Amino acid sequence: MAELDDIIHQPLRLRIMAALNALPTSVGLEFSKLKKLTGATDGNLGAHIETLSKAGYVAVEKAFVGKKPQTTVTATAVGRGAFARHVATLQEIIAASGGGK
Amino acid sequence: MIDSQQATEALADVNDIVRRVRQSQIYHLASLIIIMWGALSFAGYLVTYLSPHYAGYAWIAVYIVGIAGSIAISAFQRSRSGVQTFRVRMLSAFVLFVAFGLFVCWLGHFTPRQLGTFWPIYFMLAYSIAGLWIGPAFVAIGLGVTALTLIGYFFIGDAFDLWMAFVNGGGLILGGLWMRRS
Repeated sequence: MAELDDIIHQPLRLRIMAALNALPTSVGLEFSKLKKLTGATDGNLGAHIETLSKAGYVAVEKAFVGKKPQTTVTATAVGRGAFARHVATLQEIIAASGGGK
Repeated sequence: MIDSQQATEALADVNDIVRRVRQSQIYHLASLIIIMWGALSFAGYLVTYLSPHYAGYAWIAVYIVGIAGSIAISAFQRSRSGVQTFRVRMLSAFVLFVAFGLFVCWLGHFTPRQLGTFWPIYFMLAYSIAGLWIGPAFVAIGLGVTALTLIGYFFIGDAFDLWMAFVNGGGLILGGLWMRRS
């Protein structure tokens, strides 16, 4: 059985990756939207996005819309692959215990 | 390694987030369309109130601009977010829905006031039913506008069309704005 991805395994990071992976390739989510969807706090979300970014799982783009700074987070191809493998492993664990039947 | 219970919970969490992201995308798109229809309905009812003679032309224009605008917004959003919202099946359902409404109007020989009540309620019924699958905001908007429309029909006298401009038009605009925040 494949190993779980240690970076994605953390609950909030799993939620972040699930949200970004639900979008089409190259489409991202604004920080505020991601915060609302995952139920995270600013600091917490920022720290976990940083971890995912260092692993190359997400790309962070900062821009100004008018005078307001806007941060957009997008899942990279590497991140999507890692997330797909992580979910497959979770499904294998359930199937192995007979829970998937 | 985690056990199957933890794996099940993690997958449930993933599914929950995916559902919320999709709902959020649908809300975003729908809110734009609802705000547009609100503005158009406001204009249609205002013309009906101020110049009843031109009401027929105004409503034809409202429907043409509304349908074209809905298609344009859907296409634009699809290019931006990849969300496919416009399908031939949906257009067919819409055409059948409107055709049935026209049939009911023909069968019922409605007065202009009854027509002005029937169509918003009829569309709001569809909103409410769709909301049972898509999200509670649709149900709230549908039931809210329906209740206010019925209040107008039974209790508002000559200013019914003006009432409807604010209730139907304004209600949809406010509902759309609220949907963008939720």
